[in-house]
Amino acid sequence: MKPSARNQLIDSLLDGDISEADFIRLEAEFSVNPEARKAYYERLALSAMLQTEAGAAPHRIAEFKAPRTRAYLSGVLAMAAAVAALFAVNSLFLHPKKSDLFTHEPTGPAEQKASGFAILSGQSELVWKNRASIASGSLLPTGSLSLQSGLAQIELLSGVSLIVEGEADFEILSSMEMKVTRGKVRARVPEPAHGFRIHTSEGQVVDLGTEFALDVAKEKSEVHVLDGQVEWHPKTEAKQLLSKGEGLRLETNGDKTNIKADDRGFVGVNAMNKKLASNLSARRAEWLHFIEKLRKDPRLVALFHMGPAGSRQLPNESVTGTQIVKEGAVVGASHVADRWGVSGEALDFSATVSRVRMNIPGEYRSVSMFAWVKINSLDRKYNSLFLTDGHDPSEPHWQIMNDGRLFFAVKKRPFPEPKNQYAFYSPSLWNASMSAQWLMLAAVYDVDQRQVTFYLNGQPISQEAIPAEFMVEKVTIGQASLCNWGLPLRDDPEFAIRNFNGSMDEFALFSAALTPSEIKDIYDHGKP
Amino acid sequence: MNAASHESQIVAQLTQIQMPLRLYVQSLLPGEPSAADVSQLTNAKIWEKRAEFTLGTNFKAWAFSIARFEVLNYRKQQARDSRLVFGQELEETFAQELAEENDALERRHVALKQCLGKLRAPDRDLLMHRYASTETLLDYAQKSGRSIGGLKVTLHRLRNALLGCIEKHVGPDLLES
Repeated sequence: MKPSARNQLIDSLLDGDISEADFIRLEAEFSVNPEARKAYYERLALSAMLQTEAGAAPHRIAEFKAPRTRAYLSGVLAMAAAVAALFAVNSLFLHPKKSDLFTHEPTGPAEQKASGFAILSGQSELVWKNRASIASGSLLPTGSLSLQSGLAQIELLSGVSLIVEGEADFEILSSMEMKVTRGKVRARVPEPAHGFRIHTSEGQVVDLGTEFALDVAKEKSEVHVLDGQVEWHPKTEAKQLLSKGEGLRLETNGDKTNIKADDRGFVGVNAMNKKLASNLSARRAEWLHFIEKLRKDPRLVALFHMGPAGSRQLPNESVTGTQIVKEGAVVGASHVADRWGVSGEALDFSATVSRVRMNIPGEYRSVSMFAWVKINSLDRKYNSLFLTDGHDPSEPHWQIMNDGRLFFAVKKRPFPEPKNQYAFYSPSLWNASMSAQWLMLAAVYDVDQRQVTFYLNGQPISQEAIPAEFMVEKVTIGQASLCNWGLPLRDDPEFAIRNFNGSMDEFALFSAALTPSEIKDIYDHGKP
Repeated sequence: MNAASHESQIVAQLTQIQMPLRLYVQSLLPGEPSAADVSQLTNAKIWEKRAEFTLGTNFKAWAFSIARFEVLNYRKQQARDSRLVFGQELEETFAQELAEENDALERRHVALKQCLGKLRAPDRDLLMHRYASTETLLDYAQKSGRSIGGLKVTLHRLRNALLGCIEKHVGPDLLES
């Protein structure tokens, strides 16, 4: 192919109107000719640079303050790209409809993906005004936020970490800017985020590499520099440099007083972490107390904790169940922190072979199962939660599809007979923005009520009647695995790898249908 | 190493690979108006997974693998049948070569700015409008009342001119170095 003809085809490709025949010609050329690929990269780079040029001009990023760091200044291009990147992330979150990326996302939890450029990384007794609770690990919504009380630990995408103490009114404007109209904020700003600024009604605090605190109240505001330096930019006067140990008090009548910085009024990162840990351990103690009761429930067939670290045999914690199932065996999985942050008490199943093996003899009528999981990503078409080996008639399979839907089925007839099973699906309950969150998933197979119900965090999310022709009144399990599939003998090998890319810290199986209030009770006592 | 320092290094490295990352995503999704969104999603994903990255290992390779996953994800979400996708082997070659590509991108960008200045104003405006838009070329042609054939020829000619001009600017430097 002549270079001129080839370059024309590359432009057609980049313009998005290449014909299939030309695409195939070009692909063949790329495969054999390094010069052709080089021309492709050159024209790709030209497009990207032109996009930057075209996008850098409009006023929309004029107000964006470029951070002053070596990394950002390492090149005009790098800076432009970084600014464009930060801005584009924001604009994407602010205007999800701009692209059709989310077209196929379900409603519900997926909407969280479309909001915010800061993460709520921790919370203590946090109460929001006009807003339900926000799970730790979630992106914070954009727009004004109001705290009634409690402490919020927030991480901005730029690396700034904040502790906001209620009662507070604030807004995260970008990864590098926030506005505070009321409340206490303590900010720690790492090197790449120098230039971070907080707007108040009196002016702006601009960080020059530091830790500082801000207390904004009706009658006065205070700035305390705890480390490094900040610049205070009042609305009317010249800016003022403040160094470690210095502070300012600003009254609404315009009076300004130099004060000594004092961090005692502000909760610091260490204190916050301590608080978080003690909250968690109190909640964990409550759960362990609750579990003691649950263990004696005669309907409980199996209950597995995944810890402690290093254990390869997990005892069945169920008092009656242990006569049927003694233990589970850990294969390939490694120990990680559980949902309370206690290390070694949960298992990570991201290694392809990892699983917990068990043998559960007996026949059951209805069954219920729940698991606490943290999902890294849904890599497979089927991501196993609890699967019997193979899938013979009367055996249950519980897993998550790669689009975030729960799957549950009890085999009616042997594969590959037609209509061998009826699969129940929940709506999609997971998206990538939830990968730091621990979730309680549950499925209830109720023969008497002839229905299957799925639960997320104690709440029913879907319920479906079991069609008469697929009703199985005796469920059997036998050899089974958590988070993987035992012996993929029959199905398409493409789907044979079903390990769950994530962590699990508890799994329970009951020989009965639990009621919604029982599931909720388990969640309420077990949530971290 | 504490978390803040780990994060600042991630930010620095992420900043540095913005352009290669973007080129890689676009090489897999040529002519796809949403390619820029996919690279932004990749950035968000990298940030989300930052704790999993071991400093000192190859950040670019790690980031590219996340980018590839995001691209596959994006393709999956697009229910179009008539999608044109390169073979996996070729896509892997793109990843390797673009990760090594260090062809004075910054200098080329500076040169591009100068070269844009040499274009006739209507030509420059056309390029700026076209590249600020996320519409397909056909939609763009219809909205701006041009024939798609004429538009394609003009854009192709302008790109050739710009690439030639950039070569001239960065050429001598390359000889000296």
